[in-house]
Amino acid sequence: MLTIENINVNYHHAVQVLKGFSLTVNQGEITALLGANGAGKTTVLKAASGLLGLENGHIEDGQIQLDGVSILKTKPHMLARNGLVHVREGRRIFAEMSVEDNLTAASYALTGRHKKADYQQVYDFFPRLKERSKQLAGLLSGGEQQMLAIGRAILAQPKLILLDEPSLGLAPKIVDEIFEIVRRINQEQGVSMLLVEQNAAAAFRVAHQGYILENGKVVLEGSIDELKQNKDIQTFYLGMGEHQDASSFRDVKHYKRRKRWLN
Amino acid sequence: MGQVMQYLLNGTMNGALYALIAVGIVSIFKSTKVVSFAHGHVIMFGAYFYFTFAVILPGAEFMPDWVAKWEPEWLLAYKEGAMMFSPKAAIAAWVSNLPRIVLGLVGSIICNALLAVVIERLFMRPLLGQSSLSMILCTVGLIWVLEGSASLIWSADIDQVPALGPNFPIRFQLFGDQVFLFSASVVNFVIALLLFAALMLVLRFTRSGVAIRATAEDQSTAYAMGINVPAVFTSAWVVAATTGAVAGAILASRNGLSPTLGLFGLSVLAVVLMGGLDSFAGVFIAAMIIGIMEAFTQWKFGGEYAEIVPYVLVLVVILWRPNGLLGQAEIERI
Ligand SMILES: Nc1ncnc2c1ncn2[C@@H]1O[C@H](COP(=O)(O)OP(=O)(O)OP(=O)(O)O)[C@@H](O)[C@H]1O
Ligand SMILES: [Mg+2]
Repeated sequence: MLTIENINVNYHHAVQVLKGFSLTVNQGEITALLGANGAGKTTVLKAASGLLGLENGHIEDGQIQLDGVSILKTKPHMLARNGLVHVREGRRIFAEMSVEDNLTAASYALTGRHKKADYQQVYDFFPRLKERSKQLAGLLSGGEQQMLAIGRAILAQPKLILLDEPSLGLAPKIVDEIFEIVRRINQEQGVSMLLVEQNAAAAFRVAHQGYILENGKVVLEGSIDELKQNKDIQTFYLGMGEHQDASSFRDVKHYKRRKRWLN
Repeated sequence: MGQVMQYLLNGTMNGALYALIAVGIVSIFKSTKVVSFAHGHVIMFGAYFYFTFAVILPGAEFMPDWVAKWEPEWLLAYKEGAMMFSPKAAIAAWVSNLPRIVLGLVGSIICNALLAVVIERLFMRPLLGQSSLSMILCTVGLIWVLEGSASLIWSADIDQVPALGPNFPIRFQLFGDQVFLFSASVVNFVIALLLFAALMLVLRFTRSGVAIRATAEDQSTAYAMGINVPAVFTSAWVVAATTGAVAGAILASRNGLSPTLGLFGLSVLAVVLMGGLDSFAGVFIAAMIIGIMEAFTQWKFGGEYAEIVPYVLVLVVILWRPNGLLGQAEIERI
């Protein structure tokens, strides 16, 4: 579905953020991308959705393909119209527009696809949005705003959703609710996803494959079942084991472990 | 006391014209975050285009006579015996001017739209992704480009251009005051209001309006959701230039054609700052306040003060509310 091969990314031709980064999202699967703050997770998503150029970010080497076609030069709106939708970090709903108008804005992704915007489908996933459809989106609660952000993506009838930290700042109960919807979108609609998360436990519940990013490099990758067995993951990402106070993966000699997964 | 209504009306009518000019600046700012200093000069081009299509072209050899002066039988019969300055005579004169008025408006709207596309493609698009300051400075540079090319293109003698509506004096009583207006000003006023209202309705209630508002709020997110943001930018410039073409035609018929039209448009920037760069409603209110203030200062203190007092008010408002009457705080950083 989505393959990123060996990309180097910098901002302003100065700060090198991704170094030889590669990742694959398989058709119909959810791939989780985990990593500490500033590791470069959002940068990966912006590289795929074409937003990097707007922030003076540059992909120097490597290749990004959607269904085998290079998308390095494709404009963001054309990517959305080709089924690649980016749900951005911090939700980025249009606060001064009604919930319904937010969804209408998303219907532009259907341009040229002979598909009709299915508002009811979004409201079926998120009944709470239906009740508030005429309300200004800025007045929604944080959880509802995240639902709207995902709702916009559903309305765009994508084949791939890039989902950036949907759990950010939400209560555990809402996080569960949202991840349940994420799972349903994946299973019922067959939508593939690249899921960026800090909340590894939540991500592991829905994902099939996982990548761990540190300082712009992949340090671990594998199926979720494999990752769950990994001692360091258990310690640093799932909060199990005795090193609970250690905060960064950096302290560990991770290259050895990386080798283990790559061999 | 007796003239309050008169000056209130004069001010309101001028205010509506300011609002029509301001609409262009706001629509460009809202979607692109660029303050166009060149809007006055785009309006000046609109005025010159109107002159070209309503005066020069109808007078050309190859044009049929009826374009310059349309006099069908029934019109001659209608104006038979009409008194000078009577509504009847004015309406008859207007009808016979109608072909060239329409030609002038259509021509200036189309040419100004093309001008906007050229400006956007040539000067704005390459700067996309750069700071908006560089784009704003670019519009300042455009002032001289436009002024220079206008004087190259339109070196011929400038003639009177036809008013958009029939022009006859109207007298009536309003709340006990005797007031006096020209019908052409009333027509201009109505056109300005209708255009302003139409734009608001499109923005509020159409799907294109949603795309524009989404772009105004968050460009990159709108882009990532499938909205063709560069096309929205272009259309914002086109909206500004076409409303500016109408404003230019009105100004040219009212005050005559001259390169100072551009500066007049520039002064409306003060109105926009007072209302709030990103607020159509705020700018409408500010336009009315300034229009009325100007009329009253003119009345009480004379013409010299009319040019100063309203702008002092603008400064005071900006000191009190740096983002204008209804502007959003967020735009401070620009
Ligand atoms: N627009 C930008 N201009 C310059 N540097 C940037 C920009 N965006 C991100 N960076 C830098 O790139 C690095 C990676 O940022 P990125 O947002 O990709 O991290 P992240 O993994 O998503 O972090 P978080 O978990 O905090 O969201 C950071 O050091 C950040 O400062
Ligand atoms: Mg991030």
